[in-house]
Amino acid sequence: MLGTSASPASQEGDSRIELRAPAPAASAEDAEAVLPAVKIEVRDLKFYYGQALALRSISMHIYDRRVTALIGPSGCGKSTFLRTLNRIYELYPHQRAEGEVILDGENILGANVDLNRLRARVGMVFQKPTPFPMSIYDNIAFGIRLYERLSTVEMDERVERAITKAALWGEVKDKLRASGLSLSGGQQQRLCIARAIALNPEVVLLDEPASALDPISTQRIEELIKELREDYTVVIVTHNLQQAARVADYTALMYLGELVEFDDTETIFTRPSKKQTEDYVTGRFG
Amino acid sequence: MISLYRRRRLFNYFQMTASVLVTALGIFILASILWTLISYGFRGFSLRMLTDMTPPPGSAGGVLNAIAGSVVLTALGIIIGTPIGVLAGTYLAEYSERGKIAEATRFINDILLSAPSILIGLFVYEIAVVPTHHFSAWAGAIALALIAIPVIVRTSEDMLRLVPNDLREAATALGAPRWKMIVQVSYRAARAGILTGILLALARIAGETAPLLFTVLNNQFWSSNLDAPMANLPVVIFQFALSPYTDWQQLAWASALLVTASILGLNIFVRLTLGKREKRS
Amino acid sequence: MAVAETASDRPRVERLAKSAAGSGTLGDKVFFGLTYSFAALVLLILAGILLSLLIGSWPAFERLGLGFFTSVSWNPVTEKFGAVAPVYGTLVTSLIALLFGVPISLGIVIVLTELAPERLRRPISTAIELLAAIPSIIYGMWGLFVFVPFYKAYIQPALGSSLGKVPIVGALFSGPPFGVGMLTAGLILAIMILPFIAAVMRDVFETVPPLLRESAYALGATTWEVVWHVILPYTRTGVAGAIMLGLGRALGETMAVTFVIGNSNEINASLFMPATTISATIANEFTEAVGDVYYSSLIALGLTLFFITFVVLVLAKLMLRQLAGKVR
Repeated sequence: MLGTSASPASQEGDSRIELRAPAPAASAEDAEAVLPAVKIEVRDLKFYYGQALALRSISMHIYDRRVTALIGPSGCGKSTFLRTLNRIYELYPHQRAEGEVILDGENILGANVDLNRLRARVGMVFQKPTPFPMSIYDNIAFGIRLYERLSTVEMDERVERAITKAALWGEVKDKLRASGLSLSGGQQQRLCIARAIALNPEVVLLDEPASALDPISTQRIEELIKELREDYTVVIVTHNLQQAARVADYTALMYLGELVEFDDTETIFTRPSKKQTEDYVTGRFG
Repeated sequence: MISLYRRRRLFNYFQMTASVLVTALGIFILASILWTLISYGFRGFSLRMLTDMTPPPGSAGGVLNAIAGSVVLTALGIIIGTPIGVLAGTYLAEYSERGKIAEATRFINDILLSAPSILIGLFVYEIAVVPTHHFSAWAGAIALALIAIPVIVRTSEDMLRLVPNDLREAATALGAPRWKMIVQVSYRAARAGILTGILLALARIAGETAPLLFTVLNNQFWSSNLDAPMANLPVVIFQFALSPYTDWQQLAWASALLVTASILGLNIFVRLTLGKREKRS
Repeated sequence: MAVAETASDRPRVERLAKSAAGSGTLGDKVFFGLTYSFAALVLLILAGILLSLLIGSWPAFERLGLGFFTSVSWNPVTEKFGAVAPVYGTLVTSLIALLFGVPISLGIVIVLTELAPERLRRPISTAIELLAAIPSIIYGMWGLFVFVPFYKAYIQPALGSSLGKVPIVGALFSGPPFGVGMLTAGLILAIMILPFIAAVMRDVFETVPPLLRESAYALGATTWEVVWHVILPYTRTGVAGAIMLGLGRALGETMAVTFVIGNSNEINASLFMPATTISATIANEFTEAVGDVYYSSLIALGLTLFFITFVVLVLAKLMLRQLAGKVR
């Protein structure tokens, strides 16, 4: 497994944290999938804010149709890392990335990459809900219209499907023309998720999607993430350890711009290889 | 011998009273101006005013051609000035925070904002009237547009800056090209503020006289020819108010009331709608 | 190894490499070009104004040389023109406007920030802003038909018989009470610029940290003392900028001044005498100017006004730069 080091750590896994039940063995792909397909391969990724080095040579795999969580204390670079995956940092002149991020065989950091197409395949949901100042319908349609010309009937269908997948349909089906801003915080965030998956991306990036929400909304988002796993590769940044334990298949711990350890979630939380990991997940620092 | 303490208190009392008095003076002057406009203006107000053309000296008439002309000139001025102003403001807010052109433009824009409007009139005279050998409504409209542009640039930039970056990132993350992100998301988010800026520019140019004096001049008759002088309220007011004919003077006051009422009405309207926005957020 | 998806769902974006002509990039280039050129247009406008003034005034300078700036004559017949009287008038009326306008503005701002109860602040503020919205020609009319008679009947005689008798100062207030004149124009200008100065001053005052004001009051200072010894020094650059801004407006004001200044191309010691300003001269004579030199001299006056105003406005902007930094 990538990211684990050879140095032994304490065998005392602390089980204060609730773990997800491991995936059932009867899946058809089990035979070949002890290691699932790699969706994104990150090689030697470095990131600079101006002259300052924020990510130090990160290498890791992100597996297809799995949820990968990035955890670590504030400022460790997890959001920075996430934002390289759809190159959203290109909006800001003094930020740049070096290294390789290979999505299905193509390096997305390459010079010849069409950013708009990249972002159609790699969607993102932000920390604060950001509905556009438009109707709920138009919020979803906005993204679709960037790429496709659909008849009204087709568009209605796509919008409905996206909102349904985001577990929001029941609450908004009668007010699709209302402003996106009229929804509650939790609903707005689900709207943003619907907006992202309306484009049928392959990868969905979630940057602390529930941190601005109340516990009940958070729970719904987490359930939603588990459903999204069936169709999309999910990468989620979270500062909430329990959340990572609840939803993620794989977890990466970052600290000060470096990847400390990467493994499947159960291992990270019960038998981590590094002392630093163990200290973090047991709450001794962070 | 008054103690230091008492002296300070007396002085303070004096200053505070003076402050209140001058504030009252300011408000009194506003009231006086409005009152004068209303009382003198109403006298000249009649249905005739709105139906007849400007009369020759010493006879009665109306200012219909001037009203129409002013509407045309102001509308043209805003139509020309708004796209330029909004797009320039967009450049400053969305594309270039600190570039050389951006800094220079902001600086110069603020200078133009307070520049004497008569100089704008001279400039347009040189570029529009001299080459064509005649005064024209186009020239007047251009002059008004040049006065409106700095206002619109400033407000557009300020309003666009208020749009949170989150929104921009969300649109970009969906793959929207930059111009779509600006037009379909930023503009929408800032649209109330930008509109306010346009209305304020409108209120400003509706009352300007100096730049019209040597660009569009005036016209005694009804004219719909944009290539010729056109009647307009400010110049009519200027001409009629300083004349010795009572008929003309009355019309001047009535027109002055009309212009001021429109402008103040616009200002109050903008204030109310902006105020409503502030209460909502 | 990807599982088959319903084909209609995915947008056709399989490969990431840029295509030769993506509609996104063309739209971006066009839009950027538009915004950039219009931003640059603003710079071109200023350059254009300067250039047209220079070109237009050239014949006058060719004929009159730099004597233009030292001559008091203004004679269309002999074609001898001099800028001294208009420039003098511009400067003096603006000075008077500041002398009266600044203290009044300060008083208003004190009322708005320190004295008035909450409920009154908005209406007073609005009233002052409405003063700013009134077109200048209205000020001219009000000035001529309302203010001047009052001034002529009461203020001028009073000044004449009081300050007019004082030895040196008296020269400023001598002469018959025409009603119109330098002082009148200055006073009307003062009223016109006070909303601008007050608005900027209030914004500047609001940048003072509340803690600073509170600690001054806590020491037992009176309101005036807090304003004079704490707030004004703290905001002095911004206040200077506000004053310069007001000055810039006063220098260029045309319509209000034309009505009440008397339009006489002379320099007199007395403020009661009619005079003229650069903009009033241009406004009154431009459409009747005959002959190249006459016309060109008026443009030369415009050029002079341009330089004076430009310098003042640049200074104002530099001084207010700090304020802009804080507010933005």
